[in-house]
Amino acid sequence: MSGPTDPALRLRQVTVRFGERMALQDVNLEVPKGQFLALTGPNGSGKTTLLRAALGFLAPQSGSVELFGSEVLSLSVAERARRVAWVPQEENPRENVPLLDYVLYGRYAHLEWLQGETARDREAALRALRAVGLEERAEDGILSVSGGEKQRAILARALVQEAPLVLLDEPTSHLDIAHQLDLLTRVRELSRERNVTVVAALHDLNLAARFSDRIVVLSRGRRVADGAPTEVLSEELLARVWGVVADLRRDPRTGAPYLLPHHLVPPAPSGPGTFLGKGPVHVVGGGGSGAPYLRALSEAGYRVTAGALHLLDSDLETAENLGALTAVEVPFAPISDEVRERLRNLLQAAKAIVVAPFPVGPSNLPNLEEVRGWLGRVPILLVRRPSGVEWDFAGGRARALEEELLRGGARQVAGAAEMLAALAAEPSVPLPQ
Amino acid sequence: MGASVAAPADSPRASGRRPWVLVLLLAFLGVGVFFSPILGTVSVAPDTVLRILLHQVSGGALFSHPCAGASVPASGCAGLIEIVWDARLSEIMLAVVVGAGLGISGGTLQGVFRNPLADPFLLGISSGGTLGAAVVVVFRIGVADQNLLLPLFAFIGAIGTGFVILVAARSRFGSVETLLLTGVALSSFLSAVLSLLLLYSPTGSLQVDFWLLGNLGSLDWTQDGIVFGVVLVAGTLLATYGRELNLLQLGPDVAQSLGVDSRKVRVRLLLLASVTTAAAVAFTGIIGFVGLVSPHVVRRIAGSDYRIVLPGAALVGAGFLLAARDLSLVAFPGTLLPIGIFTSFAGAPFFAYLLFRRRGTSTMGSP
Repeated sequence: MSGPTDPALRLRQVTVRFGERMALQDVNLEVPKGQFLALTGPNGSGKTTLLRAALGFLAPQSGSVELFGSEVLSLSVAERARRVAWVPQEENPRENVPLLDYVLYGRYAHLEWLQGETARDREAALRALRAVGLEERAEDGILSVSGGEKQRAILARALVQEAPLVLLDEPTSHLDIAHQLDLLTRVRELSRERNVTVVAALHDLNLAARFSDRIVVLSRGRRVADGAPTEVLSEELLARVWGVVADLRRDPRTGAPYLLPHHLVPPAPSGPGTFLGKGPVHVVGGGGSGAPYLRALSEAGYRVTAGALHLLDSDLETAENLGALTAVEVPFAPISDEVRERLRNLLQAAKAIVVAPFPVGPSNLPNLEEVRGWLGRVPILLVRRPSGVEWDFAGGRARALEEELLRGGARQVAGAAEMLAALAAEPSVPLPQ
Repeated sequence: MGASVAAPADSPRASGRRPWVLVLLLAFLGVGVFFSPILGTVSVAPDTVLRILLHQVSGGALFSHPCAGASVPASGCAGLIEIVWDARLSEIMLAVVVGAGLGISGGTLQGVFRNPLADPFLLGISSGGTLGAAVVVVFRIGVADQNLLLPLFAFIGAIGTGFVILVAARSRFGSVETLLLTGVALSSFLSAVLSLLLLYSPTGSLQVDFWLLGNLGSLDWTQDGIVFGVVLVAGTLLATYGRELNLLQLGPDVAQSLGVDSRKVRVRLLLLASVTTAAAVAFTGIIGFVGLVSPHVVRRIAGSDYRIVLPGAALVGAGFLLAARDLSLVAFPGTLLPIGIFTSFAGAPFFAYLLFRRRGTSTMGSP
């Protein structure tokens, strides 16, 4: 039914419009046989539309969708069903059909007209029920089992359909965490045992990273990222596509990346004087120098971020007590590239940057270097240092950087009150409500 | 997985499949058909009736003198045979066939619209069919070919109504409520047009009650044959769609993902159900609620598999209408009241029951 080189699913320049709304825009995608692909993206990004196009439920305005080398809409409905199975987000059966019969529905496309299910079909259905751990419940009605069991029964139905491609549309969104893991583990095992290609739309990025070979990210109908979970998932991606600030960690057991979402990225400025929300304001400090400014900002209603700071720094404790996002380095070590990257993300989200009068040495000099990169883009406030106290332990490089900041438009403020007044005067950093 | 939610103790039992119920229903119906000719508008002794039946069925081999010992009217034994065989049995067969047609149509419509309240009468398909037939009678179109034109116009009326409903169901307001309200509105409207047509008919007085209340009388074997032929063919075709209807209950998208061409199948089923309904009402007028009640009775006793519900609804519908005829003759001896009165007596409370039960649970979704 297909050449050995044909991918399980291929979309070429697929565009789908619903009235004015672009659901998919020039999407190209090739899913090789045997792959477990997680399709993700915010609500309304086109995940479900892509799956529906692959199932032949809708005809794209332009472009082509192929299942194993054949244009999907040129296949008969039954032939489509023999090539691709579907596990919907939710199904609302109205009759209390025994699970075995429910699973047998999956044999429809393999039966002749008026042909009843044979013993072979029933065996296949029982095997599928066993594969999803429901063999004991074959005679129970579909309305009397739990949500997780229902999804597994639907998965079993997709299995007896014997389609080499299975599409899952948010199959776990109505399940608790244990059942989510259970269902996806089964899907992955079955896909490996039977060499079935899986495309699963998943909201949960951590589940996607953990179970898939490849993640494709859709945003506003376009494919914006594509690759192995470790390549694709980043704090930058989350900020850009979902508008969420998050920490990227690595699961020590599985090695899969996982994301710890924190808060929403404030909307980008669209013009002077636009209301932008309360910050965040990033404070660069250290050795307790940043604490008064962090507190003042927080009390005034701004969200704050801080860093990069070394572990055990008292500023870090203050920042964490205020619920601030931070970039943290191990004690006494120079700031690593990884932490620097994190600092950049925090600075990117910041509406203003405050440089506290912190002692600068070679290890934390990168803080000032990074701040320099934001000159002219966000307001930068330098807190005036007390005279006669030595603070540049980086051989004059820190002093030179501060002077460069001041020349480049950073403002000097005398203390916390002046800092707040300066922020309030900024058109892009409105007063907290 | 041990923590999975246990099914509540009072959860509904899985609806199994009990095909043998069909055999039982068929046997009941056979017995009913055999003994129903005993009842009629004129009194004939039961034993005479049975003798006449066996005499006719055996082609005259049994009971060569079926009327022996009976009080024979002026027309002699032939007159009695005519009463029992031609009048009563044709009327009974019509009840059986019309009931079967309405039953299987109702079962189909409930499946197509995924709505337990769907029924050819409530959706206005019966009214549309009856109106089509009445047009032929009132305007005396092709008087010679009425046996052909009557069902044809009934089909046009019924199918036209069916498509209006299909469009309503497909629109984005196609909820269960919209569907039923559209049907009720259509039904009332078409009945009103029908009444007007009959009251001011150019041919003078035609019995309004005959058409609006359903009637089994005054038909002959030819008309029986037409209804029988159409209902048999369309009904048999419908009964082959049990599996597709089972899958459609999961929603048109899921059904399509499993290999059912949902759109095509639904249109085809609506068409066939309309044809069946049209044949059923072309000669008898509007008979309500048979299509609503019968499938539910079958589901109760034989399970919800449409491969059984459809033939079962035909058998129950046939039995229902036959019972209505017999009961009407028992309750009001000597006259055959319009049969629709009796079906509505039984059907309307049942409809109300379904409505209220539906509010309690929530097993219904949009079509």
